[in-house]
Amino acid sequence: MIAVLGLAVGIVAGLFLEPTVPTWLQAYLPIAVVAALDAVFGGLRALLDGIFDDKVFVVSFVANVLVAALIVYLGDQLGVGSQLSTGVVVVLGIRIFSNAAAIRRHLFDA
Amino acid sequence: MTDPTDGAAPRAPEGRGVGRRRLLTALRSRPTGGQLVAAALCALLGFAVAVQVRANQDVALTGLRQSDLVRILDDVTERSARLQAEARDLEDTRSRVTGGSSGTRAALEDARARSETLAILAGTVPARGPGIEFTIGDPDGKVGSDVLLDALQELRDAGGEAFEIATVGGPAVRVAASTYLADDDGGISVDGTHLRSPYRFRVIGDSRTLAAALDIPGGVLDVLRQRDAQGSVTQLARLEITSLRPVPAPQYARPAPEDNGG
Repeated sequence: MIAVLGLAVGIVAGLFLEPTVPTWLQAYLPIAVVAALDAVFGGLRALLDGIFDDKVFVVSFVANVLVAALIVYLGDQLGVGSQLSTGVVVVLGIRIFSNAAAIRRHLFDA
Repeated sequence: MTDPTDGAAPRAPEGRGVGRRRLLTALRSRPTGGQLVAAALCALLGFAVAVQVRANQDVALTGLRQSDLVRILDDVTERSARLQAEARDLEDTRSRVTGGSSGTRAALEDARARSETLAILAGTVPARGPGIEFTIGDPDGKVGSDVLLDALQELRDAGGEAFEIATVGGPAVRVAASTYLADDDGGISVDGTHLRSPYRFRVIGDSRTLAAALDIPGGVLDVLRQRDAQGSVTQLARLEITSLRPVPAPQYARPAPEDNGG
């Protein structure tokens, strides 16, 4: 419950504060957001599976974000940043879809 | 667990509605410390999403990485070069059309000058310059078209360039190559216009030469004296001939193409 509240509070804060993204973060923020989305969907699925654990969720969330940013950073250094970003987004997208499928089966039994 | 590598695999049967019950339980449960941290992370995620969406809407260029910027710069540079080449082409065309090349302009000036000369000769434009006024008073009607024609030829030979024959205070006729003079009922007819004495020639040319040409022994002034008529010549530094001839549109003749060399 409180997690949903947190999400809403974050969105509202982002909309109303209108902060500017620092330059060094601009390449990584989109990927980090997708990775965090993946973690949230994974957490939701774990909750429905009855195996949700706060600590695992926090660790996986932070780790996902950091790894995604690291991959993008590495790609930028290697000169394949945009391609690697695309790859990361595709992989995370697949995971999000599969998690969403699992969540759907739990909620709608279909 | 957030590792969903088996996410698409069918779940083991655990009874219908179990997931939904678990979700409701979770929603109703009291927050623990760990859940607070998870909520904070979710807030961070929401914040990041909102910021990113807004940043994406705001600016097109600041969020791009170096390679993208270089590509865009290349595109813009290429486009600008293309447009500059196009502009150069158009400017070339414009300068060609408006006679930018010296040869074309010179030819144009040449043609214009020639057209002005021909227009003066044909009597279709007013003419101005030094010249003489030659007035003939013929109260007895003894001066016919032959005398006037002689006078005209004399003035032409003396280098007159533009001619007008008029009745003093009356109609005026511009003289061109096709002008004819005929005796006509107590006066003369010039190109069909009836003129009466006193006659006045107005001629543009070197005024002294023109005056001298009329005053030679046996010349026009002598003839006039023999016929009891008075001729007087006035030299003018500035004279304007404003009478015009209509421009005839040739019905059959067309300009023949010139040789390129001519």
